[in-house]
This record gives sequence, structure tokens and C-alpha cells, in this order.
Amino acid sequence: MRGLKPIALILVLASLTGLPSVSAQEPFPSRPISLVVPFPPGGVADLTARPVAAALERNLKNPVGVVNKTGAAGAVGMQSVATSKPDGYTLLLALSSISIIPEADKLFGRPPAFTVDQLTPIALISADPTVLVVRVESPWKTAKDFIEDARNRSGQISYSSSGIYGTLHMAMELLSHAAQIKLRHVPYAGAGPALTALLGGHVDALASGPAVVLPQIKAGKLRVLAGWGESRVPALPEVPTFKELGYPDAEFYIWAGVFAPKGTPEPVLARLREGLRAAVGDPEFKAAMDKLETPIAFKQGDEFARFFAADAKRLAEGVRKVGRIEEKKP
Amino acid sequence: MPETLQNLALGFSVALQPAMLFYAFAGCVIGTLVGVLPGVGPLAGISLLLPATFGLDATRAIVLLAGIYYGAMYGGSTTSILMRIPGEAASVMTCIDGYAMARKGRAGAALAIAAVGSFVAGTLSVVALMLLAPPLANLALRFGPPEYAALLLLGLLVLAYMSGGSMLKSLAMAALGLLLGMVGIDQMSGYFRFAYGVVELGDGLGVVPLAVGLFGIAEVLLTAGQPTPPVVQKPRLRELFPTRREWRESVAPIGRGTVLGFLIGIVPGSAHIISSFVSYAVERRLSRRPEEFGHGAVAGVAGPESANNAATSGAFVPMLALGVPSGPIPAVMLAAMMVHGVSPGPLLIQQSPALFWGFIASMYVGNVMLLVLNLPMVGLFVNVLRVPYGYLYPAIIVFCVLGVYAVNGSVVDVWIAAAMGVLGWILRKLEFETAPIVLGAILAPMVEMSLRQSLAMSDGHYAIFLTRPIAAGLLAAGVLLLLLGLRSWIPFADKGADA
Repeated sequence: MRGLKPIALILVLASLTGLPSVSAQEPFPSRPISLVVPFPPGGVADLTARPVAAALERNLKNPVGVVNKTGAAGAVGMQSVATSKPDGYTLLLALSSISIIPEADKLFGRPPAFTVDQLTPIALISADPTVLVVRVESPWKTAKDFIEDARNRSGQISYSSSGIYGTLHMAMELLSHAAQIKLRHVPYAGAGPALTALLGGHVDALASGPAVVLPQIKAGKLRVLAGWGESRVPALPEVPTFKELGYPDAEFYIWAGVFAPKGTPEPVLARLREGLRAAVGDPEFKAAMDKLETPIAFKQGDEFARFFAADAKRLAEGVRKVGRIEEKKP
Repeated sequence: MPETLQNLALGFSVALQPAMLFYAFAGCVIGTLVGVLPGVGPLAGISLLLPATFGLDATRAIVLLAGIYYGAMYGGSTTSILMRIPGEAASVMTCIDGYAMARKGRAGAALAIAAVGSFVAGTLSVVALMLLAPPLANLALRFGPPEYAALLLLGLLVLAYMSGGSMLKSLAMAALGLLLGMVGIDQMSGYFRFAYGVVELGDGLGVVPLAVGLFGIAEVLLTAGQPTPPVVQKPRLRELFPTRREWRESVAPIGRGTVLGFLIGIVPGSAHIISSFVSYAVERRLSRRPEEFGHGAVAGVAGPESANNAATSGAFVPMLALGVPSGPIPAVMLAAMMVHGVSPGPLLIQQSPALFWGFIASMYVGNVMLLVLNLPMVGLFVNVLRVPYGYLYPAIIVFCVLGVYAVNGSVVDVWIAAAMGVLGWILRKLEFETAPIVLGAILAPMVEMSLRQSLAMSDGHYAIFLTRPIAAGLLAAGVLLLLLGLRSWIPFADKGADA
């Protein structure tokens, strides 16, 4: 009896990762679809993917399984979908970082794990602007205070991030360039440790997704100064955007979107777009996203492609501006 | 205090509901299995089970997932003791003396002491969690990169005390481990180091493939290479339980392991791994017969096994009191709360008293369940040693490969484990101890990251380690430890005093 249960677990896992490759001219979908999440369970991507998969499954009347294929900040899972068979049975749920990874590879002159051209955007599911948070005890009451102080004490105000070239790092870099300020970056291994560092007083500021910091704001531990969105965050209506404050280039979202490998036939893509559109309207899906306090932002086809291209361009520029660390002069 | 008792009564009224008992029990059973299976540790177990909890309410989900976490700490010792395979990373230390005990026919005693030590540590640390969570959580937050770096430097010093044999060999292995730990993306600059174009190597070699390879697979290869299989004393029934002397020698290590484990567990990071080997080093340092370590010292099982259990409760302190994800496992559990619409944060205890106190009460219940579950299993588990090698060892290899593969679903990990198995076999042939490699590989990226984060915080000034009291205190302790070590090398020094 000992050991039987783990074996069963593994068999389930193995059956999810190993895809059969039978494919004739059958109607789509006629076998289970895998939605690959390149991040571990419990993260934003995973928590978005599961209700998406469930709602898509109801709409397509066909099993949709979530597969966490993690590693190298998402590159492992993204690469595996980019190079898999373009038949619509292997999909990717990716976050904003998908456009950063190939750009960072380019920066270091290494062969990219994958390129964004290898993937076709199907639909955007959610987009959450980051917000600038500081501790309540900090001297900055407004974003203006913060930016002015950063100008006066160049390179003295520190911030944590989820990792170098990570989403939270990029948000802060875009702000630094828009406001012409210099901040001190202390990378951490993930958004959780980055928040812990801010709460512990080891850094001064953090760009974060709103949902994670809302409880800390409500408990009076953190103060939110401004948001990176095009419009204000619904849960924080009194907080201005950087755009309102005169920094239109400081625009950044942590978004989640679904992709397929390049070359997936158009009828299959159309069916998936339709399925995803219905999925985001599904009441159970809405309830799940409400609990996560993540706003649904559905865009599909060309509209998503345009959003994706504009976002990728901003981020690529951001990565290039940060440059390689050893090239930066103190 | 009366208020605490009232709250606890509320907690038990939640935890003793039949459904809640069921989920606590299920968590404990799954956790034990996850702990027993080499490779699959609590993080992988919780991650795999997380989607299954989406249909439950928040308290049940948390009780189930927490059961997996501390249950794994009970289960992890089993394969370490019986087969020298760490069931999960925090059980690496148990492989050394636990396995040596098993070879002497004391497998039953080792398993029983591990279970009882885990129970005592688990229960006492829940008491501490219940009474001290809010103040301790604020203390934990003061542990930033400089403090962490200083703590890890202490850990590096401890490496020198790891092996029973030559200190030079032990340090050489630790250095090799530190080098292996350098593989992967440089977290501070984004460079790939020693990855040779293999994307999977971006995250480093991984603790699981390393430990399973160097311990489990190497052990199998080593035994297979011997002309006659080693004679393992088959345990007799009346020898299953620890002797009076073994109990006596375990009491103090269990107590120290509990305190140490809980305190280290509170520090954000992968603390339960570190807690076990700090405890091992402390026991060895305090022991009146340090030469027994590595050859079946009871304290070498009792201390670390208690410490890793106490550390799990410690890790819940910042998570429950502040809503701070203090490590990968609490992070997944926080996500589980969010999915259920409970927003984890500093107000959690006030806003969801039934969840918090129910959770606390269920941990008391769960620890009793695990003891009841594990002690009778001792008799069953030692029977594994009766299986002839020809059948047992191929099965061990299968379990190792399955376990390593299951963590990330990565074939690269299996190859790493295989390569480490061969490396471990060569080193063991040359009479090198492999534990310091694993510890070095775990510590290297943590030391590097926290050191460089500290310097990023201070704009490159090393003074940050001296101006922050906790960091300075830890460094002073390290210097003291070094001086004590040096003293024993000076001829004519009074050797009795520092024993």
C-alpha cells in the first residue's frame, strides 16, 4: 500500500504532460487540450489559468487540463509550447514577461529559448496595472513627494522586485525613465519575497500587482501612491495614475493571455477565440477572478495582437535601457 | 490567557468537526506518502494537490495543505533511515546517522525516535505559534538580506563540522557543493552560468536531483559493486523500540531541535532545510561523544528530525500573522486562501478567527494523528530491510527516478540525478562524505543572493553588516565559533573546556 498513491499522482501527471499525437482530419476539439502554465501552482498565472480552463472546458465540451511546466522564469514552459505541434491542443497561458525573456536573451547575445514570433496571440484574459506602494511610516504621502525626493537624492531610494528584468523591475524602470529619476534596485526571487522586503523595511518602495497589497493597505501597513494603468484601479479609486500626473510613458500591466504555437490553422484559432470569449463571460469564471481581485480585460484577435505588440515594444525598450548590469557605471 | 483558551476552544470546535478531521487526516496521510517518496517533497505535494482544494472552503483547504507540509516532515525520515535516500530535502541529515543506526539493527529505534521527536517538536511549536505569532512575526520581518547573509555564513562554518572523517575532505566536498550551487541564472544580473544552452539548467541543478543522486542512487551503485552484499542486521521484534539509553540521549536534542527549528523556521526563506543541519551540527558540537556522529548517534536523528518539524510551524508565523509569504510553501498556501476569497494579511486573525484558530487546533490534532499513524508503521517499514537486495534495489532506483521526474516533469532532472549518482559513487569509493556537497549546493545560491542584495541595499558598503544589530550579532557568533575551533588546534590548550 505504501507508495501506491504517489504513483497514481505521477501517472496522472505523466498523462497530462505526454500528449498523444494522433491527428487526422477530425473536428476540433476532439481530444483533451493542455493549457501550459510556465509558472508554479499558486502564482497569478496558475490561479488565472485554472478558472479559464474550467470555463473553456464547459464551452468546448471537451477536457482542458492545466499543466504547470516551470523553470527559468517561465522560459522552459514558453519554449515547450513555442516548439510544440500547432494543432490547437497545446496552448500557453503567459504573462507580460513573455516579451521580456527573448529580449533579455538578445541582450546577452545568447540563442533565445524562443521568440514571440513562434507564438500566435489568441486572447487577452486579464490586465492589472501595477501600483507604487511604500510603507505607511515613509515620508512620501504622494507620488509627487516620492519623485521629487528621488530627484534630490538620486540613487538613494531603493525598491525591491520579483527579479532582474522581471515584471516588477520593468514597471519601476519605465517610471524611472518617464520621470527622469534614478532609484536603487534590489532584486528578490519572486514577488512574495519582494513584498516581504518592503514590509520589513529593507527597501523603500515596490511596484506590485494591486491584489497582493490590498490587504496590507487596508491594514494600514502600506500606502499606495500611484498606478501604472491607463485608468485608475477600481479597488483604489482615489489613487491617481502616472498618466494623470504627467508621465504617460509609465504605463505597465501585469497581463495574462492565451497563445498558440505559430501555424495553428485559422478555423481552430477561431474556435478557441470564440470559446475564450464565452469563458470570460462565464459567471463562475467571473466569481473566481473577483476573489482574486483581478480585473477581466478581454481582447482577441487583432485587438490583442496590437496590444501585445505595443506592450512588447515598451518592454523591449525597457530591457535595452536597463542594459547589461556590468555595463552600468555607478 | 483566558482569551487564548476561549479562542482555542473555538478552534477545537472547528477542528473536531468530522469533515475537518477527515481533511486533517487526509493531509497527514498524503504528507507522509509525499515524505516517503524520494524527491517529491512537501512543495511538490502541496502544488499538485492545490487544484484539488479549489472546491473546498478555505479552512478545510488550509488544514489539508498544512497537513501535507508537516506530514512530509514525519515521512521524510523513513527512507533516509532505511535506505539512505532523503525523502525530502530537510531529511538529508537523517541519512547519515539514521542509516548508520539501521545498519546496526537499530532501524526501528531510529524511526521511533524520529516520529516521537517530530511529535514533540510539532506540538510544542504549535503552542509557540499560538502564543507568540504576532510579536515574532514582526521580529521575523527584521530579517533582511544582511541578517540572512550573516545567518548563512554561520551555516557555512557549520559545514566544517559535518563529517566524521577528515575535515579537509569535508571542506573539499563543501567547496564542490558551493560550486555546483553556482549553476543557473545569476539572480542579480540575469546571466546564465554553466548552463551550456540547456534552458532547464537556468534554475540550477536542483536540490532534489542532487540529493537523490548523491545519496540514493550512489548507495545502490555502491552496494551493487560489492562482491557480497553487506550484512545488515535484521531487526528483531523486541528490538524495534528505543532502549532506555537511547531515549535518554534523545531528550535534550529533541528539546534543542524544537527551539532551534522554530526560530530558524520563522526567518523567511527555505528555512526548514537549514534548521535540520544546524541542529545536527549543534548536537555534534555539544555531544560528549562526537566521534559517534556518522556512525549511528541517536542525537543525530533526534535533533534534526525535531528541528525540521518545528520549522514548519515557525514558517506559518509570518504567513498567518502578517500574510507574508515567507517561503515557497507558505506562498502556495496563501494563494489557496486567496482563491477561497480569504484575503491573507495582518488582519487575518481578527477577520477570520475561525480559520486561524481552527487551523491551530487542527495542527494539534494532526500531530497526534501522525504519531498514531507513524509508530505502528515502524514495525511495517523495517520489514523493508528483510527484502533481498536483488529486489529492493531496482525498486529503489525506480522510486528515485519517479520522484525526481515528478517534481518538475523534467527529464533533465533525471539525468542530473543519474550523473550525481555516478559522482557520489566515485566519491564514496574514495571515502568522501557526500552530505557537505548537498549542503554546499543549497547554501551557495542563498549566500550569494543575500550578500549581493545587502550590498545593493548599501550601495556597496560592507559596513551594513556591522551597523545592523542582528547581523552584527550573528557575525560575532561566527567569529566566536571560529576561535573556539582554532583553540582546539593549538597544542597544550585546555581541550576539556570547549567540548
